[in-house]
Amino acid sequence: MKRLARTLGFCTAAALALTQAPVGFVRDEGYYFTAAQSYEEWLRLLLRAPLQAIAQTERYWSYNFEHPGLTKLLFAASHLVFSTWLKLLPDALAWRLPAFAFAGLLSYWLCILGSSRSRSAGVLAPLLFWCAERTFFHGHLAAFDVPICALWAGVGVAWLGAAGRPQESGLRASGLRPRVWFAFVYGVALAVKHNAWFLPPVLLVHALLLPREQRMRALKTLPWMLLSPLVLFAFWPLLWHDPVRHLGDWIAFHTHHVHYAWWYLGQVLRAPPFPIIYPLVVDALALPLPLVALLAAAGVSLLVGFARRRLEAQRLLELGLAGAALLPFLLTTTPIFGGLKHWLAFVALLTPEAAALLVRAAELAPWQRSRALALGAAAALLPGLWQIAHLHPYGTSAYGELAGGVPGAATLGMQRQYWSNNVTAVLPWLNAHCPEGARIFFHEVNVESFRTYLSSGMLRPDLRYAPAPEAADYAALQWHREFRDREPETWNAFGTRRPATGLYLDEVPQIVVYARPGLPGAP
Amino acid sequence: MRRVPLLLIVLVGAGSLLFDLTLSARLPADADWAEAAGALRARAQAGDAVQVWPPWAERARLFVDAMPVAFEEDLAQADFVGVQRLWVLSLPRTPRFAAPDDALRSRGATPAAEAQPFGALSLRPWDLHAAPPAADLTRATEEHEVDYLPRRCLRVAVGSRFTSRGAGNRLHLRGGVIGERAYDRDRPAIEVQVFAGGAPLGTLAVPRTERDGTGWRRLDLPLPAGSEGAVGEAGRDFVFAVSSADAAAPFCLQAWTTR
Repeated sequence: MKRLARTLGFCTAAALALTQAPVGFVRDEGYYFTAAQSYEEWLRLLLRAPLQAIAQTERYWSYNFEHPGLTKLLFAASHLVFSTWLKLLPDALAWRLPAFAFAGLLSYWLCILGSSRSRSAGVLAPLLFWCAERTFFHGHLAAFDVPICALWAGVGVAWLGAAGRPQESGLRASGLRPRVWFAFVYGVALAVKHNAWFLPPVLLVHALLLPREQRMRALKTLPWMLLSPLVLFAFWPLLWHDPVRHLGDWIAFHTHHVHYAWWYLGQVLRAPPFPIIYPLVVDALALPLPLVALLAAAGVSLLVGFARRRLEAQRLLELGLAGAALLPFLLTTTPIFGGLKHWLAFVALLTPEAAALLVRAAELAPWQRSRALALGAAAALLPGLWQIAHLHPYGTSAYGELAGGVPGAATLGMQRQYWSNNVTAVLPWLNAHCPEGARIFFHEVNVESFRTYLSSGMLRPDLRYAPAPEAADYAALQWHREFRDREPETWNAFGTRRPATGLYLDEVPQIVVYARPGLPGAP
Repeated sequence: MRRVPLLLIVLVGAGSLLFDLTLSARLPADADWAEAAGALRARAQAGDAVQVWPPWAERARLFVDAMPVAFEEDLAQADFVGVQRLWVLSLPRTPRFAAPDDALRSRGATPAAEAQPFGALSLRPWDLHAAPPAADLTRATEEHEVDYLPRRCLRVAVGSRFTSRGAGNRLHLRGGVIGERAYDRDRPAIEVQVFAGGAPLGTLAVPRTERDGTGWRRLDLPLPAGSEGAVGEAGRDFVFAVSSADAAAPFCLQAWTTR
């Protein structure tokens, strides 16, 4: 079982590494790359002068204080080893490498959860998760969304190993080691993203709902989580000096997070209250329809099992973890920007049950099992594979069949894209047409991502970053409902309404490029 | 019955795949756009404009060069200032497509010819039967985004007065706050008082925009009968006084008259 899980994990990481090159640098990656550069400097100092490095953590680690250190430390270490020292990998790939490892871990843990039902479910669970452009896209990024999703599943598996009955979960559950491992994995989750704050209540409720014998064991496991902050502390050197202040800053950032405008069914949502069903609608419209149907069936299956008190420990936990990943976004007050990336764990934790239902449907059919399973798997996975083949690397723009694809979603008035990474589509055009030293207004592409495009060779090194259309020769506008003011500003500045080129996905504008009249490429 | 669950999954999967694989056949190719643009070039007249439908089909702007391209979202209410004939260039085979005909008819427009297909595109001229324009009172040279659409309007400081002169029988006034500020909570309303020939004519109220699609406020007024002759072809003097407690609001105004 574990061998199969490891193979799937490795294949996931390899698939992501092989398809990452065209994925643009999303806004947040720009910040994390910059953080990783600063942390890499600190790592080099640590190797050269450890005491000095320990004394100067604030200097190197204050940047991007709002997220814990582990993933960024891994981005930095990967870059230090594979780019700086070995010169084996380009910068971006080296920074992203740890993200692929987290994605591999997610496949590994989903396979473990699925395999407790059947081997086929173990294979199908991670495949169901990844066969959608939205999830596949997020797996490529040096960010925290897939890592915390992986840890969400990982904490669940470790919890079952430490607190559940081995014959039920199929997982080892004896001795001290599983509990220490559980405390460590939760610590890693804490060190990845603040979503981990929500896990202890879920595990407590899970423990209380278990049968008496299991309940006692689970309740005795919970205090081991008190060790977990040690991992957070160890992997976040910012906390080594004045930890209370830094922890306060971290928590305050997320409890007072700003609301970004977000287009949803023809209205721009700006502030609470948000529609209670918002995350479910986004999932239903963005993911491939067969996956939506299977996830819905899995959710219903788990809820019905819960209502009838027929859920064993693992399925009960999967229901709890999936629900907990979604719950904050049903409260109508949590910031809702970013599409489904914030509740990826909701999708992930439903896939083992969805896979099991698919296998059961194949077994029920009066045909040869392997043929029926192949047919069912093809029906469930092929639309998602097509979505990836058709839309990758423009993952934030992907919409499923229920929406009517990208054009249907545009008509419905759904957020067209976010994070600016789609700009990669027009970089070759800009490289080919811009005169030397041309100034380009990149709109939502922040200066950190712009620098990475330069250093990675995706943009010509002589091109310059313009802060506004008035100061630019060319403009690459990202089509956002809430940023439409930038387009007339560009018309006014350039004296033309006619674009030079753009990225149109199934006819829907994503990136619109303008050139000042008379410049190369201008219409 | 035992095969039903799997058949359902296969049905959903096959239907989804069918949709995915046939989508591109329902969308126009470059050649379709180029042909439609060529047809528009051949038939263009003064007072023509193109409206794309659905309004996101802005790729038309890469090809259409013979007349202005509009992407208004509410065809029943859109002003189409100065446009007599509107060419609706639509993508009728796209998912969730809803024909614009009812909205156009509701404003009194009538089809001027049958729709002509260009691959996956459809081109149809509509006569708007719009009153002929008399005077552009704001004479804006720039465009600004108000309520998520570009508007050819004049940015006017709150607390200032704007004067203009023009003939016509009917005054049309539009106003709104540029950009996201229009939606800020607790922003006070803006008022535009209109005077014609020194006499108060009406007031346009522009409250904070609470719902998308309501931020571009409109006021249409008949001008006093018979007065045009008295003021001559040069028309009458108009004064627009903009006031609000939100002195820094980026306010945009458009005004014109029709005969």
